[in-house]
Amino acid sequence: MEVLRTEALTINFGGLKAVDGVDFIIGDEIVGLIGPNGSGKTTFLNLVSGIYKPTSGKIIFQQEDITGAGPDAIRSKGIARTFQTNRLCLHLTVLDNMLLGLYSQQKTAWWQAIFRPAYSRAEIKAGIEKCFHILAHFNEELIKRCYDPVTTIPLIDRRRIEIARAIVGEPRLLLLDEPTAGLNAEETMQMIRDIGKIREDNRKISIIIIEHDMAVIARITDRVVVLNAGKKIAEGLFSEVSKDEQVRTAYLGG
Amino acid sequence: MINKAGAQLSRSLMAIAVSLGICLILYIALVSPLPITLLVLAIFLGLIVMGERSGGIEKIYAAMEEHKGEALVVAGIFALLLPLLVSGNNYLLHVVVMGGIYSIIALGLNFQLGSTGMVNFAPAAFYGTGAYTSAVLAVKFGISPWVGILCGLFMAALLGIVFGFPALKTRGYYLSLVTIALQVIFTLMIINTDWLGGPNGIPGIPGYEIFGFSFRRPLEILGMRLPYQTNYFYLVFLLLSLAALAASRLYNSRIGLAWNAIEQDEIVAATQGINLTKIKLLAFSIGAAFAGVAGALYAHYTSFIGNEDFDFNKSLVLICMVLLGGMDNVAGVILGSLLLTIIDEKLRDFADYRMLMYALILIIILIARPQGLLPKRNRKYQIKQDNNEGYNVTVTAGGK
Repeated sequence: MEVLRTEALTINFGGLKAVDGVDFIIGDEIVGLIGPNGSGKTTFLNLVSGIYKPTSGKIIFQQEDITGAGPDAIRSKGIARTFQTNRLCLHLTVLDNMLLGLYSQQKTAWWQAIFRPAYSRAEIKAGIEKCFHILAHFNEELIKRCYDPVTTIPLIDRRRIEIARAIVGEPRLLLLDEPTAGLNAEETMQMIRDIGKIREDNRKISIIIIEHDMAVIARITDRVVVLNAGKKIAEGLFSEVSKDEQVRTAYLGG
Repeated sequence: MINKAGAQLSRSLMAIAVSLGICLILYIALVSPLPITLLVLAIFLGLIVMGERSGGIEKIYAAMEEHKGEALVVAGIFALLLPLLVSGNNYLLHVVVMGGIYSIIALGLNFQLGSTGMVNFAPAAFYGTGAYTSAVLAVKFGISPWVGILCGLFMAALLGIVFGFPALKTRGYYLSLVTIALQVIFTLMIINTDWLGGPNGIPGIPGYEIFGFSFRRPLEILGMRLPYQTNYFYLVFLLLSLAALAASRLYNSRIGLAWNAIEQDEIVAATQGINLTKIKLLAFSIGAAFAGVAGALYAHYTSFIGNEDFDFNKSLVLICMVLLGGMDNVAGVILGSLLLTIIDEKLRDFADYRMLMYALILIIILIARPQGLLPKRNRKYQIKQDNNEGYNVTVTAGGK
């Protein structure tokens, strides 16, 4: 089943076509997005998550045209993401960061917050249970440290929190931007396991993952799409794509 | 078991003692001559700084959080008895009433400045909007001040929305500049509109009345005759309590969290589904509404308002109250507002050097406590089930 489709998606920054006519489709699967630095992978995610507006082309999510929608609207429709440079609210606690992931699902309006505190509290309580449930999958330790500010948490756990925050709101599509950047070999293995767990836990979540570590791509993706200079140059199983002449020249170094 | 109950009791007593201590410090600062006020403040500041170094302050915070109810009751009783304690000294009561009015505005300003990180230099313009709305309605149209207070609230909130919508497209320094412009426009508009009294202000604003009892008449209870400020003191106390309750409920809701997220990182906030424009506008308009209520109160309290009550300097003082008390901390903001109002009044002795001394005291406090007297805390959720035992039970149940 098709979850997300882009049609001739293009964005220009001045004269530079950072993403150039990309047709992309993802169903119930994990798709790896690979390509050399500056090939437009992160820009592609920024387009899909609404941070950039495309110059031309279309983004269709679950049969609905979401081209040009803002990041908050897109998150509410069910596309969540993480960032390459691990972006958490550093001075908020672990739990607060997690609760933010549920924001788009919570309903408490400002007048309810003031006049119906019981409603507001019940919603937050249900949210906290959900957050703890997800955190327990990644690292039980984080539940004990839930009132600690994120500044005191090590990098691997910060990445876990960021992924946990993205999936706690049960998105249909998850965008992971280099989840293993900055991790050592052992931590990378843990991260591969963690990402695997997301799909074990919830089959109804599709993932687009940007990754430079080909071992990670080979192990967890169902399919890869290769970008170069903003254009899609190949797609298919990693084992096949990695043999492609064009891809080898562009990316894998011949 | 007994040990646990004992520890519980001692924490409860600690919370009560601290609450009473803070009330006493404020009281002494209020009634003493200037040198003693300054001495008490210095001791208070020293205690906080020492408490921070030794880590003792964390225990106090924990006790206060756990026994919030007791601490608030003690502070409440103290406040209710205050008119008797100052034995009907109307000047001291006036200072406290003004402190309460500024606290309400500062609580509103805190949504923008403390929670969301938007520096708004125009709280006095919203304050003035509330004051002028209610005053004009009462003086020119004979509308009851009780209705006026609601109209003041709505007009200020409306100004917040109408002004905020375009202004919030800017951020950081640019937003600050736009709010300064609003403040300047407001003052000039008042001065140049004859219908609003121009530079002469609006005199003869009627006071509040309940069932024929005018708030401008002395209050007689238990055979004692208390000055009319007592009536206003209780009214302000009531409204400040409601404002503080609303502010702390907002802080503890997802709205407060969204404000904090925007302060930390707008892109992250947006990608979590937070509509930046809407939520920022909310901080602006609710904050403005608080200021509007305070303005209406002020107008009917003093019976005269003029443009200099709502000028840029007033905005700066209000910002100082939030900064000095503690950003995004309801108790801190109120403490800061009361203290600065008291200090400001005490410094009248210095006549020409008043603002100089005022600035000096601010600088000293902020050097000792750059983060404010009671700074932002990590949010804790007071939900019984989220302790670890409760959580483990849920997991075992879910794992089957």
